[in-house]
Amino acid sequence: MAKNETSDKPAQAPLIEPGHTYGSITDKISSVVTTRKTPISWFIGFAIAFSLLMVFLSSTAYLLMKGTGIWGINVPVSWGFAIINFVWWIGIGHAGTLISAILLLLRQEWRTSINRFAEAMTLFAVAAAGMFPLLHMGRPWLFYWLMPYPNTMAMWPQFRSPLVWDVFAVSTYATVSLLFWYVGLVPDFATLRDRVNNRGAKLVYGMLSMGWRGSAIHWYRYETAYLLLAGLATPLVVSVHTVVSFDFAMGVIPGWHATIFPPYFVAGAIYAGFAMVLTLSIPLRKVYGLEDFITMRHLQNMAKVMLATGLIVVYGYMMEIFTAWYSAGEFEEAMISNRFNGPYKWVFYSLLLCNAVAPQFIWFSKVQNSVIGIFIIAMFVNVGMWLERFIIVVTSLSQDFLPSSWDTYTGTIWDWATYAGTIGLFLTLMFLFLRLLPSISIFEMRTMVVEEDKGGKES
Amino acid sequence: MELSETIKERIEGWQKRALTVGVIAAAVSVAGAFLSPAQFFQSYLVGYLFWIGIAAGSIVILSLHHLVAGGWGFTIQRILESSARTIPLMALLFIPVVLGMKDLFIWARPEVVADDLILQHKAPYLNQTFFVVRALFFFLVWSVLYFFLTKWSADQDKNGDAALSRKLQRFGGPGILLFMITMTFATIDWSMSLDPHWFSTIFGLMFIIGQGLLTLAFATIVVSGLTDDDNLAAFVKKKHFHDLGNLLLAFVSLWAYMSVSQFLIIWSGNLPEEIPWYLHRSHGGWDWLVLFVVIFHFAVPFALLLLRRNKRRANILVKIAFGIALMRLVDLFWVIAPNFHPHGISVHWLDLVAPAGIGGIWLAFFFYNLKGRALLPINDPRLSEAAAHE
Repeated sequence: MAKNETSDKPAQAPLIEPGHTYGSITDKISSVVTTRKTPISWFIGFAIAFSLLMVFLSSTAYLLMKGTGIWGINVPVSWGFAIINFVWWIGIGHAGTLISAILLLLRQEWRTSINRFAEAMTLFAVAAAGMFPLLHMGRPWLFYWLMPYPNTMAMWPQFRSPLVWDVFAVSTYATVSLLFWYVGLVPDFATLRDRVNNRGAKLVYGMLSMGWRGSAIHWYRYETAYLLLAGLATPLVVSVHTVVSFDFAMGVIPGWHATIFPPYFVAGAIYAGFAMVLTLSIPLRKVYGLEDFITMRHLQNMAKVMLATGLIVVYGYMMEIFTAWYSAGEFEEAMISNRFNGPYKWVFYSLLLCNAVAPQFIWFSKVQNSVIGIFIIAMFVNVGMWLERFIIVVTSLSQDFLPSSWDTYTGTIWDWATYAGTIGLFLTLMFLFLRLLPSISIFEMRTMVVEEDKGGKES
Repeated sequence: MELSETIKERIEGWQKRALTVGVIAAAVSVAGAFLSPAQFFQSYLVGYLFWIGIAAGSIVILSLHHLVAGGWGFTIQRILESSARTIPLMALLFIPVVLGMKDLFIWARPEVVADDLILQHKAPYLNQTFFVVRALFFFLVWSVLYFFLTKWSADQDKNGDAALSRKLQRFGGPGILLFMITMTFATIDWSMSLDPHWFSTIFGLMFIIGQGLLTLAFATIVVSGLTDDDNLAAFVKKKHFHDLGNLLLAFVSLWAYMSVSQFLIIWSGNLPEEIPWYLHRSHGGWDWLVLFVVIFHFAVPFALLLLRRNKRRANILVKIAFGIALMRLVDLFWVIAPNFHPHGISVHWLDLVAPAGIGGIWLAFFFYNLKGRALLPINDPRLSEAAAHE
């Protein structure tokens, strides 16, 4: 930083610390995978994650034996934790696609070192999200009834229901995300194939790399395919969470039926997703010593995106509250007053603290420069976005139009166990990914070396 | 580097023509105001909302540009600045809206409010005094925003102080924030409250996206006529038009996304307090107009802007941008006018003359601002970075 050309230029941390070459990048990233020694911290983390996964399996087994009655859902609140967690997880997934696809199209090079594991995060979050609607059906083995296929029962999905659109939106999203992630991995699979000594591992990476030799025509096709997939994935980021918001907004329940919901949900998803990327990348760079690649600038940029999307979410709150009064509808007004004064008011106040107040600290450069500060705010947002979905789902359902049908809702031990279990599922997959695949794109990082050099010389 | 004589003359020529059209159209509009005052105010409001869309929209696009500092932003920065500096004129042109308040807004008529419980409920917000106070507040905020955004950039032209770039960049985020909040409520006041029973939480955001789209289309049109300016010729490349085209595509898509979302949610809920808004706009000829909007405000520009070659050729992109700007006016007409003619479409000659009057005068002021400064912020250190970043 010392040889900075003009002092006036806003001082920005580099995207990759100086002194790296092609070789050092390849060594550093691939060594995480090719090393024989697995760090003890990995084992500890994996053990915790795997135990939580076992919690998931046992609570699911019990659920299949007993039925959804073991959850806290009741008659007005028929959508409890299952939907809250579904929306929470799927929202988290969105940041991965945003980073890898939209930032690629916007030519934001800083995405390079975080896109790979952000995409992995997307896949695992979608997997965790997918569990909930399946389990909430009560008879998950009949899930294929959701698909429109000719059958002897003459059953056909209700195409006017956004819940059916969800099936298409989420499955398309999962497929494209997987393809996008895999295509991006192919050149790195080849690198690993050439570097591992173990015969079995060589074979597996070799098959996964699909005969990649790095010839010009390979790269040409790769770039085209990657760009096309990025273009495909971009509208999917928007469409999935829009359809999720339609699940609520298409009905006439106060607190759900709001036209702001689609953009507000999409912003909320990206908000939660960036918080999760920060939550994962901060320990990751520390444990594996990847601070050279995931620099302060990455963390700052992500924190800024988090702040921006958080402000859109706050704009949504503001419009909801104003319109509830402006609409002069007594049910809308009652819903808002119920949020502020009702049985869940502490959840609502905590949500405001986490989502509206906490991220405002990112305005200060002192917080922007503090890894711990960013991490703490990201944790607040993770919690806050869960609470937000709780408020949306539960307050509106528990007190709707008819006071005689009102009831309160709390999650049971099984609700919490299933939720914690999906965190286990997510983390287990994440730990396996870190150990078996390059968590930072090796070949894209190599291109950064050239670009950083060029930038330095020209100015 | 100042403007060359040829460029200056060209802008002055445009300014003169705009002023001639503006003065004539304004004079005819004033005559129309005496013939049919109600119609005059209705047509005037559509025209006003169209042109303030560019003036105020420039503030938000300018803030966005300073925040991200991309090459595309530098190509149109001076155009946006000149347009944002017309805010005082727009504040002046707001006076007819205040004068016509009772003709335009039924909540401003005490005899209507007396019989309407909902309007009585809303009276603390929707009343004449507060309406004017809010409008003054909005203009105050926008004036502060445009003042600093343009002043710092002008100072930098003179003294070359690079620290001003940093200041502008820091101003971007809060600038967008303040603009979003004020413009949302301005939209509620000036457009949504025309049907005071109706409400939609996305309405303000959708309006702002429309303004951003219009502003970008306008800036694209103007810059394409000036690419032979010495500064611009050295900087502007095909790539920048490509970027502007992509931004137009993004805003067209966002606008369509929000419009469809609002429609789908209200249609599906089918509530008596919401659905009349769409019922009025889908009968008696308005249905044909909305079909026209769907095709030419979304489908056609979307398809054209997907193609790379249309975005890289300035002469084609300008035609698309022109079409988009025109469709913004049609869309505004579809949003505003059915409030006054819910039973069937009605197009008056004032609907064309009033927007032309405002536009002519506005454009003349805009071109006057434009010729005063170099067309590129040449002393901004980020400019050379953007130029090097190919």
